[in-house]
Amino acid sequence: MLCDKCGKQEATVKFVQIENNKKTELHLCRDCAHGYPGFSTGFDLQHLLSSLFQSVGLGQAVAPTVTMKTCPTCGRSIADIQKTGRLGCGSCYEAFREELNPVLRRLHGSGNHTGKVPARAFPKVRTARQMEELRRRLEECVRLEKYEEAAKYRDELRLLEKQLAGGEA
Amino acid sequence: MREIASWMRRTGPMGDIVLGTRCRLARNLAGIPFPEAATREQLREVLTKTAAAVAELEALGTFTYREMATMDALEREILVEEHLISPSHMQNPAHKAVILNAEHNISIMVNEEDHLRIQVLKPGLQLNEAWERATEVDDLLEQHLDFAFDLQTGYLTACPTNVGTALRASVMFHLPALQRVKKVQEVLGAVSKFGLTVRGLYGEGSDAWGNVYQLSNQITLGQSEDETIEHLARFTAQILYSEQQAREYLLEQERRLTTEDWLYRSYGILQNARMITSQEAMELLSDLKLGVDLGVIEHGDPDLLKQLMVQIRSAHLQSIMGQPLPVQERDRLRASLIRETLQKQITKGE
Repeated sequence: MLCDKCGKQEATVKFVQIENNKKTELHLCRDCAHGYPGFSTGFDLQHLLSSLFQSVGLGQAVAPTVTMKTCPTCGRSIADIQKTGRLGCGSCYEAFREELNPVLRRLHGSGNHTGKVPARAFPKVRTARQMEELRRRLEECVRLEKYEEAAKYRDELRLLEKQLAGGEA
Repeated sequence: MREIASWMRRTGPMGDIVLGTRCRLARNLAGIPFPEAATREQLREVLTKTAAAVAELEALGTFTYREMATMDALEREILVEEHLISPSHMQNPAHKAVILNAEHNISIMVNEEDHLRIQVLKPGLQLNEAWERATEVDDLLEQHLDFAFDLQTGYLTACPTNVGTALRASVMFHLPALQRVKKVQEVLGAVSKFGLTVRGLYGEGSDAWGNVYQLSNQITLGQSEDETIEHLARFTAQILYSEQQAREYLLEQERRLTTEDWLYRSYGILQNARMITSQEAMELLSDLKLGVDLGVIEHGDPDLLKQLMVQIRSAHLQSIMGQPLPVQERDRLRASLIRETLQKQITKGE
């Protein structure tokens, strides 16, 4: 349906006004709806985040002991996190892993980190991840028949392999 | 007069359509609650530890550590207008700090939503360059600081929307032609289906003043930083192409005169107005930039125009005058600054 006001864009907002028991309905596009008093998209990130958490615990029968669980480092409970949509500290991720995993999958489509790894804390893992990334690029270049670039990635890979074997990483 | 942040002083690659590129990494110190949950002592501990780590950045130039509480409101607002800190970092300055390099294209906010928010800003389209510099800053700081990280979930952040790579890469577009042909929605509306998001000039909840839009990634878990950058670059190329098509369309013979008339009228107002709000100024400067980039308006200096877009903001104007000004006075001063700058560039061009 096209917008009742401009007649150009697709109507995405229904605007209902009741005055003197008379109801008028308007179908407006986003741009035109902005001009109407009292229009709000009602979009609220904080609320959205906390609702993501709430659907995890509520609806299922959760034992009271589980809801009472708190993070050993910052003392936050899952109820606190539900309220704000924010975690209290790094340990919350470990303490509430079970509750968090579905939230992370809903937000990102995945629950597993595949990116950068801190060099000092995890030197071996970092090299392994870098190699995975190089292999991905190498395959991509071979697929696109960019052989010169592929050779560059192959050399970088060999260097890292040597490092890993020599224990330098 | 204070020098504007380097990324806003010059135009960069694809500078007719892309104003700038930003990469932001969120990091937290292991074992200390995130700022919102931390005690005053813990926030102080973050400040002390971070201040001590600044020395690690020496290889990248001179960095200055400043606590927000030591700046006046105007100084803080200037940093917001140059995108060096977020609006929320400006409010409640207690126990917050910012680390800036001399060129003002690297900034680290301390105790914002996360302990550290590393930002790299580049003029024009420079996604790879911005990411490479950001990861370099991160590596240097990590030599001195233990970051909250686990192998399954990645870098741990206060908000679960950032966890994983904790990378938010953004491209800031100027899309006046797409706006003119009413195709912005069509082009940008689809991005959310691909894990990207669009916002206005000053981030969340801000309007797209002067046809400036920021495109950023949403997803931080399950894809590597390189994949995130590549994905964003692919969409950027598509948006660039669409805007270029729209610009060519506006210059086609049957509508060239209408386009010229529109752009010259905006130019005329800027050259003559005696009072102007920042919103109106942004809209007209957007038209003027388009006119100059299309070659319709001569003698335009793209760098000067880019600088004007930030100089007309309230805090910058007030800093030129060295004191807070009432709104009406700002509108008058803004109009006169624009007139003088445009006059200067005409004289320069001739």
